[in-house]
Amino acid sequence: MDANLLIPAPDVLPAPPWLLIALEQLLFLLHIIVINALLGGGLILLYNRLFHPRSEAHAALDQPIARKLPTLFALGINLGVAPLLFMQVTFGNLFYASSVLMAVYWIMIIPVLILAYYGAYIHQKKMESPGWAGWLPLMVSIAFVVYVGFIQVSNNALMEQPERWVSYFQNRGGTILNWSDATLYPRFLHFAAASLALGGLFYATVFTLRKTDQHRAEGVKYGLRILGIGTALQMGVGFWYLLALPEPFILKFMGQDGLRTAVLMLGILAGIGAAVYAFMGKYRAALIHVLATMALMAALRYLLRMDFLADNFTALSAAFPASGYGSSSPLPTRPRRPF
Amino acid sequence: MSIRDRLNVIFLYALFAWLSLVVINGIVAFMLTPGAWLKTFDFWDGFFNPTYFPSLFFRTGISLMLAGFFGMLTAVFLPQGAFRKRLMRYCVKWIYYPAPLIALSAIWYYRAIPGDARFANFVLNNQSHLPIVVFMATSILICATGALFLIRVPARLQKYAVAVIILAGLGWMGSFEYLREYARKPFVIKDFMYSTSIAAADVEKINREGLLKLARWTPVRQAQGADRMKAGRELFNIQCLACHTIRGVKNDIVEKTKHLTYRGVISHLYGQGKALTYMPPFVGTVEEREALAAFIAGELNGKSLETAPARFTPKQTPVEIPPFDPKKDNYVLLAWNDIGLHCLSDAYDRFMFLPPANTLQALLIRRGDPPEMVADGVEIRYKVEKGFENPSRHVRFWEFAPGYYGRGIDPNVGIAGKGMSGVFDFDKKDSVFVAEAIPAAPYRDNGEYNPYPLFHLEAIDKKTGKILQKTSVVAPVSTEIGCRNCHEGGWRWNNVSGLAGETADNILRVHDRINHTQLLKSANAGKPVMCQQCHADPAVASKGKPGYNNFSAAIHGWHANYMHEEGSKACALCHPSAPFGNTVCDRGVHVTFGIGCTDCHGSMDEHAAALLKGQPGARTSAGLLKNLKTAAVGGADKIVPRSPWVQEPDCLNCHVDYKKPAAGFASFNKWGKDANGLYRNRTDEAGAVRCIACHNSMHANYPAQNIFGASRDNIQPLQYQKIPRPIAAGGNCQVCHTARMEDPLHHPEMIRKVGK
Repeated sequence: MDANLLIPAPDVLPAPPWLLIALEQLLFLLHIIVINALLGGGLILLYNRLFHPRSEAHAALDQPIARKLPTLFALGINLGVAPLLFMQVTFGNLFYASSVLMAVYWIMIIPVLILAYYGAYIHQKKMESPGWAGWLPLMVSIAFVVYVGFIQVSNNALMEQPERWVSYFQNRGGTILNWSDATLYPRFLHFAAASLALGGLFYATVFTLRKTDQHRAEGVKYGLRILGIGTALQMGVGFWYLLALPEPFILKFMGQDGLRTAVLMLGILAGIGAAVYAFMGKYRAALIHVLATMALMAALRYLLRMDFLADNFTALSAAFPASGYGSSSPLPTRPRRPF
Repeated sequence: MSIRDRLNVIFLYALFAWLSLVVINGIVAFMLTPGAWLKTFDFWDGFFNPTYFPSLFFRTGISLMLAGFFGMLTAVFLPQGAFRKRLMRYCVKWIYYPAPLIALSAIWYYRAIPGDARFANFVLNNQSHLPIVVFMATSILICATGALFLIRVPARLQKYAVAVIILAGLGWMGSFEYLREYARKPFVIKDFMYSTSIAAADVEKINREGLLKLARWTPVRQAQGADRMKAGRELFNIQCLACHTIRGVKNDIVEKTKHLTYRGVISHLYGQGKALTYMPPFVGTVEEREALAAFIAGELNGKSLETAPARFTPKQTPVEIPPFDPKKDNYVLLAWNDIGLHCLSDAYDRFMFLPPANTLQALLIRRGDPPEMVADGVEIRYKVEKGFENPSRHVRFWEFAPGYYGRGIDPNVGIAGKGMSGVFDFDKKDSVFVAEAIPAAPYRDNGEYNPYPLFHLEAIDKKTGKILQKTSVVAPVSTEIGCRNCHEGGWRWNNVSGLAGETADNILRVHDRINHTQLLKSANAGKPVMCQQCHADPAVASKGKPGYNNFSAAIHGWHANYMHEEGSKACALCHPSAPFGNTVCDRGVHVTFGIGCTDCHGSMDEHAAALLKGQPGARTSAGLLKNLKTAAVGGADKIVPRSPWVQEPDCLNCHVDYKKPAAGFASFNKWGKDANGLYRNRTDEAGAVRCIACHNSMHANYPAQNIFGASRDNIQPLQYQKIPRPIAAGGNCQVCHTARMEDPLHHPEMIRKVGK
């Protein structure tokens, strides 16, 4: 079966596509920064609870971070809604289909997210408890956030590869996860490893802002060190992800396509800068480099999505000339008839 | 944070929360009432649609009220004291401050929803009834509990009272949202896209080309052949699964269709969305419709997919033709049934629309020059043939007669007092002998089914007791009522005929569901109801209830929306006219010439349309009429309204001046004015003899065919003139006249050779 035939007709956009896509990307960037900070911050706290349970130094440093986690959670979810809505506007036809294919996992996000949110609150109240209450709620919360992240990444990956949708005819139970997609793992890890870096940055940021805190210098240094380590790790995962991509895409990013190569190279440079400044303990410079890296990587993510979908859009624009599809602009702006 | 900052933040929080309402309200309201967007496709037309502002005000009011609720929830957990008391009273007032806004905007909102959507979803659709009750009840509960707080609630009860208000508030909100979602049915975006995600504009194309061909997410592309069941499943996924589960919690399709046969499911799909407008229409080709029905009835409900009824083999039962000697006999006795065939709805323990009531009429003519109608000094006796004397052994009418008629009726006696044997009355007004409402049934004691039991008649001189003339006539009576073709249940009597209890129950179930009656419950309690108690019907002299469809209009109007069969096939699904059925009631001379039901009565849709239009006061007439196919006669406007039973097609519509009809004849839409215009009440031009006396009952006009024996419906012509043609056909005036006649006195053309 021609997978392109499975792609629902896109809806008419009430505004220029570039505007909606720009908003989607910008809001996604904000969302992912906060979520990475949340997940990374949580991981650092959990590590300290599990491996330094009796360390008063760690407890003193971690407490302000723990108090901020629920706020970060609320902010992350709120900032997630907007790009999700824009995504449903711009790529709704693709995203809806992939969401249905993994409906069971996808719908679970809602209860899981609520529980994760509660976990963060419980941790905030009970973090000083010596027993399991000091770490279990946090661990559950982190596990749930990882689950949500993994499903989000899977959904996006599935959305970008309509040729995988035909597995619906073997499995109609809404439990399709594309485990066989070799890019899925580095892609997810790329987000997860970023969390460690952003968690470190968050740590450093909190203490930078706590001007009267006696542990300020210590906290900033600790956070920046984790930022440096996380960024170094992230480089490795990033290369893995790059190499896991289909060959024609790799070539595009390695010089064949000027834009893609430039964005990637700048991103790598900014990442290296972030790591170097982090290890040097220079908060402000590290922060700027991290934000630059994130912005460039988000742009890269969008370009990659276009690469994944280019063939589908070309085929669709040939099959449905009236639909408004086009390989350069996949999004119709003029009214269409459904067939 | 200072109090001032805190208030500023709260103000911003409220403002942005309300602005999100401003935005989302546009989307939700658009789906319910897209308004001008349907034509302009303009974003702002869609956003500021007809329910946008009423909904915005309504929801703003609700938000203020909910703020009161949750303020109370906070206050009730504060320590006892003056502050708590003050806060509590303050919050309670917020139930009432927005009340005028909520009430006025609710009325505006309600009125902004199109009337057809309100009727379909708040009246027709049963699923909205519980939320309506919840909405009303919680409205009262909230106001009442709030009022208690304004007066005084003891401190220890306050937590409970607040819990009641919060729960009632959530129920109120939930029922409102539920109703708002339901008001849109059968659409996702009203008038643009159905709940099945099929755009209204695409329906025609899909019906033409096929859904499986055009759908995206299906591996099956055709509905015929080996893949038929698979195709049915795919069609179910595409069109039904959005609302119906298979043995799931909500809207279980198996449960909802188990009372229907395969044909019943096909019919349901055909009629879906027409009368009950809360469901979208089935979209697809005829083959796809049948494949889906096969999946639902066959695969899910395990029913037979056979639609051809079993062929009935009638037992040929010869009749004895009474003797007549034209030289010696002085009297001619003519007898007939008044309507050609009477049916019994013999599930009398469940409901009734047709009691056993077969009316025979007769004339006694003294032969001579001129012949003479005899009315005085004679008595006409009748007696049913052997084996049919005890209808009460076969049908339970008499058990339930007290409920239906408010009085007991002796077994084997009819509703007008006539038994299976007795004496005709003479009707002076109409100058005809009548034996009214003889309770004949088609079941013979020996287990034989015969819808044409014979009645033997004798005309007797009262003074001398001498038999002046004898004859026999059938009392055509059938129980071949085809409800079972769609409403599962089989036959009632020996697997041959009759309306089975299960079929009847399934009919009551549907009626109860759609019309919110409790007929099944009533029947189960031993109090079955006569349909015409509510639905007027001249056939049983019932006036019905005002605003209700008359019985014929209700039955035909409703079912015409569901039956896809064409021509006389549609009639035969319910009436006993199926070509291989157990009655074949249409047995008169017209059949010989290939003239079927619809040539006089119109197609099912046309016939129904005329009946629906004949009762303008009925509430659901217009809704049932709007989807009927009347294009062949130029649309519903061209259909001439008629009353059932009293306005029928006239013979002279086709037989202009009593002649053989010209080519292209049709009798539909030309009704008699009233009961005087009915064939059974009309007389010849001399005003002496009734048409029916010489030509026999409608649907059995001489020469008639009868599947139980060639002579069974032609006894009198065979008796008096040896040929089965109308009495005196071919100039045989000597049946009655002893002198030779020159003029066609009774009507022109009567002295005419066969085929001319």
